[in-house]
Amino acid sequence: MTLAPTPAAPATPPSPPAGSAAGPAVEAVALRKDFGPIHAVDGIDMALPPGRIYGLLGPNGSGKTTLIRLLTGLASATSGKAKVLGVAMPSRVNLARIGYMTQSDGIYPELSVWENLSFFAALYGQTDRADLHRTLELVELDTRAGTPAMQLSGGMRRRLSMACALAHHPAVIFLDEPTVGVDPALRVQFWDHFHRLAAAGATLLVSSHVMDEADRCDELLFIRDGHVLAQGTPAELRIRAGTDNLETAFLIFASQTAAAPQTQESAR
Amino acid sequence: MNPLRVAAVFRRIVAQFRRDPRSLALLFIAPLAIIALLGWVLGSAQSTTAHVAVVNESVGPAGAAVATKLQAALDGQPGIVLDRTVVDDATAQQMLKDKKLDLVVVLPPDFSLANRTLQLRTLGLNAAGEASVIPTVQKALVGAFADAAGAALPTITHSTVYGSPDATQLDSLAPVVVGFFAYFFVFILTGISFLRERVGGTLERLLATPVSRAEIVLGYSLGFGFFATLQVALVLAFVLARLEIPALGPVPAFAIGLGVRTIGNPLIAYLLVLVLGLGAVSLGIFLSTFARTELQILQFIPIVIVPQGLLSGFFWPIEQLPSLLQPVARILPVTYAIDGLRQVMIAGADLSSPQVLLDLGVLVGIAAVFIALAAATIRREVA
Repeated sequence: MTLAPTPAAPATPPSPPAGSAAGPAVEAVALRKDFGPIHAVDGIDMALPPGRIYGLLGPNGSGKTTLIRLLTGLASATSGKAKVLGVAMPSRVNLARIGYMTQSDGIYPELSVWENLSFFAALYGQTDRADLHRTLELVELDTRAGTPAMQLSGGMRRRLSMACALAHHPAVIFLDEPTVGVDPALRVQFWDHFHRLAAAGATLLVSSHVMDEADRCDELLFIRDGHVLAQGTPAELRIRAGTDNLETAFLIFASQTAAAPQTQESAR
Repeated sequence: MNPLRVAAVFRRIVAQFRRDPRSLALLFIAPLAIIALLGWVLGSAQSTTAHVAVVNESVGPAGAAVATKLQAALDGQPGIVLDRTVVDDATAQQMLKDKKLDLVVVLPPDFSLANRTLQLRTLGLNAAGEASVIPTVQKALVGAFADAAGAALPTITHSTVYGSPDATQLDSLAPVVVGFFAYFFVFILTGISFLRERVGGTLERLLATPVSRAEIVLGYSLGFGFFATLQVALVLAFVLARLEIPALGPVPAFAIGLGVRTIGNPLIAYLLVLVLGLGAVSLGIFLSTFARTELQILQFIPIVIVPQGLLSGFFWPIEQLPSLLQPVARILPVTYAIDGLRQVMIAGADLSSPQVLLDLGVLVGIAAVFIALAAATIRREVA
């Protein structure tokens, strides 16, 4: 456990650019994405202030990944607007301040751990070798630097994938199901690190389809069928749903929306 | 355009190849093995011998005289072995079927000095191979008749502007085979490599970084250009050089390399192949859009590679193609590479030759079209 007590791994995102200091880190206005007849993202509005961890929670196929792809500019919106750090997406220049850990590992199996990390870091202009080594220590792959990625276990590949997303110290970090296949002890460390990043000013949007990680987030967005069902801190959502169980809360919000979608706003 | 990002993509391609011995073997060993095989096949095909018999079915004295003169004329011709034991048509027919004879000259029953009709009979299984014997036999026949008429045939010699008159098929194929291999292997390897980017999730990841499409295509081109350069250097060395290894103990003497005679500048040849290869890189990236698996990349071979091998002037001159196919041949990049390579390697043309400049210009244009197509398919929206 190399990282927990050491502040050596610097959780230092670049300072937010002038002009966006006061605004939300991540913003969506009537954001919509259709795939033929399917509304994958069905008019989402959100404004997420910086320096917090947001949990994007919903079942498979609810639109979490599409929403993240719209926010990173990887998909183009059918209508509506997506902004990150005050810049409308897609913006290639703005991607330098964004980290994205995809749902698939997205690493090169033939390349070693170090080659993968230094390649992605170089694309972001991050070439500080000592700093890259600290990132490897953070995900506990520092002893595996020379190992080809194809020889890593599933959990190790996930950790490498995360290292590739964090190596350039982005100000906004999108993590699509980051802890799938990661063992519980390391999962705790990941969340500790996420909180340190947030404390240093970074904004994290973490998607998950399991509720047991929801309590680690500062704020939750329940997503289903491309809609935000509810948004708030875990405590707020429990009170509003009238239950201690977040999973039950999700189902309550979902049934309210399904029963009376037009009264969703008044129900808040 | 950020040179550091281009360099990062380039280094990654090189690192990936270093760890992929099969692809390295495909790039460097396969072309040498194929060219060596080609050299072997074409080289030994020159020394085949045809077994020929003359059968006289006619009754008159003219037939017997001509048959004797024919046998005398054929005997000792290079590449021809005369079989004097065969006297009747039925035996000759059977020996053709048994492949003991390749060609039979038949003087029909009504043969006379007034009715000089001869039949040449072959088996008909290998039309091209059998046809190659006929000119030699015909020449001997004409000589025999001229001799019978008391005349002598003129002495004919053959000289060429470029190369030498005794150049073999290998001499005209080997210099241009370089271009074909570079195209084939660069296309396959880029196609598969980029397909893996698309299906393996790394392209999604790449596009989430500030890297631009132009930087990706350029990095890929540099990476594969680097390996294409090594491949071309190796193949050219193998084609042009010849290293005789003397017999050593139980190992018989052998030679490495083909030692093909050329007078051209290998650097200009390399330039042609490099531009061709750059087009192949982008074509591979472009076509990987239409594939979901590595097998589907291989399915492009009959569409992309084989027609170019048949139509590009590799084996047959474009002018000999059916008129409908000639325009097709003129839009294929390999056509221009092969023409340019022949101009440079056999005719010794350099960059002052308008023909070579035209070939080079067309290749640059085709590469530019493919680069634009490739860049257009690397979209941020890859879902």
